[in-house]
Amino acid sequence: MKILVAVKQVAALDEDFAIRDDGRDVDPDFLIRDLNEWDDFSLEEAVKIKEASGVPVEVIAVSVGPEEVDESLRKCLAKGADRALRVWDEAVRGSDPIAIARILAAVARREAPDLLFAGVQSSDQAFASTGIATAGLLGWPHAAVVANLRYTPGAKTAMFRRELEGGLLHEVEIQVPAVLTIQAGINTPRYASLRSIKQAAAKPIEVLGLTDLQLGSDAVGEAGSLSRVRRMYIPEKGRAQLIEGGPAEQALRLAAIIREFKGEAT
Amino acid sequence: MSGILVIAEQRRGELRPVSLELVGAAQSLRRDGEQVAVAVLGQEPGRFVPTLSVAGVDTIVTVKVPQPEFDPDTFVAAVGALIDARSPDVVLVAHSVDSFGYAAALAAVRGYGFATDVFKIERVDGDLVATRGGYGQKVSVELDFPNRSTVLLALRSNMFKPPDPGAAPQVTAFEAPVTIGRAEGKEFVELSSADDVDMTAAEFILSIGRGIGEEAKVEQFRELADAVGATLGCSRPIADAGWLPKSRQVGQSGKTASACKLYIAMGVSGAIQHLAGMKHVNTIVAVNSDAEASIFTVATYGIVGDIFEVADELRRLF
Amino acid sequence: MSRTDAVTRILFEAFGAAEVRLFYLLGYAAIAIFCYGVYVQIRKYRRGATLRLEGGLWARFGAMLSSVLSHRTVDRRDPAAGGAHRLIFYGFMLLFAGTATITLEYDILEPLFGIRFWYGRFYLVFSLVLDVAGVALIAGLVFMMYRRGWMRLPKLDYARPDRVPGDPDFNRPQYRREDWAFLWILLIIGVTGYVLEAARLVWLQGRADVWGTRWWSPVGALLAEGMRALGLGEHGGGLLRHGLWWFHGLIALILIALIPFTKVKHIFTSAASLMVRDPLASQRLPRVPDSQEQVGAAKITDFNWKQLLNLDACTKCGRCHEACPARAVGAPLSPRDVILSLREFAQATLESGVVPAAAELDIHGKAPGQVAMETLWSCRTCMACVEICPVAVEHVPIIVQMRRKLVEDGAMDPLLTKTLQTIHKTGNSFGESKRKRGAWSKALPFPVKDARKQPVDVLWFVGDYASFDPRNQKVSQVFASLLHEAGVDFGILYDGESNAGNDVRRVGEEGLYEVLATANVNALSSASFKSVVTTDPHSFNTIRNEYPDFGGKYEIEHYTTLAKRLFAEGRLRVTNPLKYRVTFHDPCHLGRFNKGYDAPRELLALLGCELVEMGRCKANSFCCGAGGGRIWVPDPVGSEKPAQNRMKEAAAIPGLEVYVVSCPKDLTMFEDALKTTGNEGKFVVKELIELIREAMPSRRTEEVPA
Repeated sequence: MKILVAVKQVAALDEDFAIRDDGRDVDPDFLIRDLNEWDDFSLEEAVKIKEASGVPVEVIAVSVGPEEVDESLRKCLAKGADRALRVWDEAVRGSDPIAIARILAAVARREAPDLLFAGVQSSDQAFASTGIATAGLLGWPHAAVVANLRYTPGAKTAMFRRELEGGLLHEVEIQVPAVLTIQAGINTPRYASLRSIKQAAAKPIEVLGLTDLQLGSDAVGEAGSLSRVRRMYIPEKGRAQLIEGGPAEQALRLAAIIREFKGEAT
Repeated sequence: MSGILVIAEQRRGELRPVSLELVGAAQSLRRDGEQVAVAVLGQEPGRFVPTLSVAGVDTIVTVKVPQPEFDPDTFVAAVGALIDARSPDVVLVAHSVDSFGYAAALAAVRGYGFATDVFKIERVDGDLVATRGGYGQKVSVELDFPNRSTVLLALRSNMFKPPDPGAAPQVTAFEAPVTIGRAEGKEFVELSSADDVDMTAAEFILSIGRGIGEEAKVEQFRELADAVGATLGCSRPIADAGWLPKSRQVGQSGKTASACKLYIAMGVSGAIQHLAGMKHVNTIVAVNSDAEASIFTVATYGIVGDIFEVADELRRLF
Repeated sequence: MSRTDAVTRILFEAFGAAEVRLFYLLGYAAIAIFCYGVYVQIRKYRRGATLRLEGGLWARFGAMLSSVLSHRTVDRRDPAAGGAHRLIFYGFMLLFAGTATITLEYDILEPLFGIRFWYGRFYLVFSLVLDVAGVALIAGLVFMMYRRGWMRLPKLDYARPDRVPGDPDFNRPQYRREDWAFLWILLIIGVTGYVLEAARLVWLQGRADVWGTRWWSPVGALLAEGMRALGLGEHGGGLLRHGLWWFHGLIALILIALIPFTKVKHIFTSAASLMVRDPLASQRLPRVPDSQEQVGAAKITDFNWKQLLNLDACTKCGRCHEACPARAVGAPLSPRDVILSLREFAQATLESGVVPAAAELDIHGKAPGQVAMETLWSCRTCMACVEICPVAVEHVPIIVQMRRKLVEDGAMDPLLTKTLQTIHKTGNSFGESKRKRGAWSKALPFPVKDARKQPVDVLWFVGDYASFDPRNQKVSQVFASLLHEAGVDFGILYDGESNAGNDVRRVGEEGLYEVLATANVNALSSASFKSVVTTDPHSFNTIRNEYPDFGGKYEIEHYTTLAKRLFAEGRLRVTNPLKYRVTFHDPCHLGRFNKGYDAPRELLALLGCELVEMGRCKANSFCCGAGGGRIWVPDPVGSEKPAQNRMKEAAAIPGLEVYVVSCPKDLTMFEDALKTTGNEGKFVVKELIELIREAMPSRRTEEVPA
């Protein structure tokens, strides 16, 4: 029994970042990389299923990206993944989530897992699309925003709850194999100590190219994307009217605002 | 020029308000003579016709499906068929939990132009341009869709104004293809809590966020909220940690402060999910020690300072 | 030969040969049992991990001897116990030496070489000395009985904070029984010794050399007079003596045989523990070799032989229990009970012929002998326990090694997990961008040199709190201006500096510590400087004591030493003496850890302040509660924090104006506690740096206001 977990190394912006000269992305010097927060939860969910299972379950972490992504994959290995895969080719640069999904679908066809997990969204671009797009390309049953999952390895279906707006939950039963995008808060991700991450460096990360997946370069990158970046810019931020002074003065003004509001209300 | 298709959302027999916002967004895009159609899927789609009869809607398309509630396979098949039949240039859906469940799959298989969480749409020299956020909403990104005859966009809520009601659009039924769903929706589950507070009805809310640091500090703010007459709310991290019940969470997967007129956010950084629940509020006062916190971009008034000191001082005045 | 020349005590006088043989048999049996017991104990220690001791064995032996003979460690914070134990110790030692001397002559020197010395004047003085020793012994014992039975000392209360009433090992009455049994046995041996001595005198009153010299055994003689007055005659005396001889002898032999199986073994284990002590046990924690599979202590056998010995050295004196700040505020931690639990565990598992399977050696949990997670996480690693322990038990490394295992398992508070991840990602516990580390210096009217790019005389290692916490940033700015005014050529590492790692290591995340230490050592090694100064005692401790293990040996001082020197050199001058009444809180990592008690006090005197010490000062300073990673983990709602406990102590000083600290974490914790204990307005909390600034207000208008 296999669970394939698609993870992303996201990029957060450092202080005083600048837009690149071509105006379409941020200068990479200012990017701080880390494993996507949602992927902590989806990986943990997979490892939990593995640990609770009576039958052997293999958890495989897969990510698309250049060598620096290995650091995040090693974290996954330290947290309980059995194997890690990375796919990269220069042609992949500039891929949107759908182009990435094509790669993930190819990996899924190769590995034939019973479940494919992805995070609901990534903390950097928040498209919330990669997992479900992969499902569409695979033609698999799919569901998004899974906040609770009950699955016994080997079973034909899984029960889960999707977390709707306003905190409402919807109970659903889905056929397996399936693609599920996992919501944050579904579990408490375990801590991977630095030592275990260092030891995970001993486990190999299999690197695949496009040819290993029978993908042409037109399937990925800008050519394979369903949108194109025209321009990236730093927006004018809305300005709040700042209340100056020390805490006492600020509190005084705030109290006045409150009283004014309540005066209106009565 | 084959028009704009809006896919409405309904849940538990109620039309979700974001559907009308999508219609409003369609108006800003429509070119002369372009038709705007709104499709609604359900067991009894007809019941939503009156609510969907708003200005700017030319046609309401009712799609009868076997399931009362959202189902991914049904939507992929039905919406795909609708698009095949009507060939719209632009398809607008909400950036919502339901659309997370099907839109990307549909777009990927069919090869439509595709973008999500779009908060601004326009035509520039005839090209459709959609703007969304990037890098944790710290930048804005303009996207276009060269050579795509159909573009599917998921729009952010509370960004587009819904049109006025009282129109009389055409109503036509559409036969959805028979789909064998591979998932079965069952019951809805409300998260019950001992705390009977209804954040959606509160007019004055005081919310706390990660900035309060530890659970022991919650009491101070609970007391402050009581003293000033506000309902105590919180952002997601506080509810996840169990420091306050989930019923007090304001935000995308928490409650929307719909009735709120005065919102004080203390120690709340302003993550996009929290803003979704409160940025519409008339008067927002943000108190945070970080001058760069996103909350200040939506607040009316801002206090950059130590939240505990300000809270102490405020308490003294009530 | 004169009478006094010939006087001696004839051993086994009037005993039949069979009796003597029986006695020797029992004696050998007792010794055999004793040896077997010693063998079992040593086998137990050897079942622990290996450890190579630093330092020469002779030097260690000498240091131990000095410690034991002076009783310096037993005296500390309980001079009454120290005095009484001295009496017991010296009394017992002398009496034992006496018996050994007799045995030496009787069983070895005389039969083998014909040498005799135990007679005449020597014998008489010998008898007197032993009589006095006996009095000392008994006096000490009686006081100890009074102390234990009537004084109701809290530190002798064996109820423990890491168990609840109802738990099988909550109260441990067997400890009390053993304590009293030991006291009584010794007392009985002592008293019967005198009665025996008196009985012999009565029995031999007819012998001029015995009766005539009886006052050389004054206690015995007095008792003999009493016995005779009660009508005891020679025959009766002889019978009494014969019976008591056996009674006294048997009890003594039983005691000897039981030494390795009871608390009596502390005679050896405490001395041995003192001999193998590591004076830097808490300040310099051991590295985990890369080759080692298991990180941290999961099984009892993961401890090394010295730690297992430590467990046996503990005499349940309770000083660590009393000193611990976590215990003082009701946390489920008592250092004493960690040691005792593990000792019980070791006894239960490692004293039989075969070592049980690994699964039964797990020391983590809530079963008897195990240590719970909550207990380990309560520790502030302030080393109050290690510092006061009279027998050199090293609790802190034991706790940290157990924490290492918890960290590997991820068994910690989610907030702590988050902080460790943040430190890994950004190099600081605040989650701020590395680029902002030196941002506090921008507010200064002069540039602060970048030590990565330019050589400096003094490299100032700033630390997380002093770089990012707004309140502490102000202190950093003041210190920078003081250095500038004093004309010191200094610089900081800006983004090149990461969290020094002291607390990360004490949390047990050794892997992350290695990353941080290596990064800092690299940054320091690429910079050019003569010495390092720091305003953060935690950074001071780890750079000074632990970085050498990572290839970074630097001359480093805490700012108080540097400031003192600058004043001495006239580069800083007090122009506005402060007349405040102050008290000084010794930071754990500067004071107890690195013996830095004096410089801050000298500075305060220089500034003209009137220093009133708190009861718990210097080596006994009461931790603010932030150490051991606890500043990153919230305290349970509703409990008292150590800083609040400390504030109340300070508030008791009449007329106190300033509570002086010299550590960024102390500043944060105590300013908070000042408010929450309702002392705001009564006195203020100030960093010593700020007082220095106040005592020498800047002459230039563009200086940053304090």
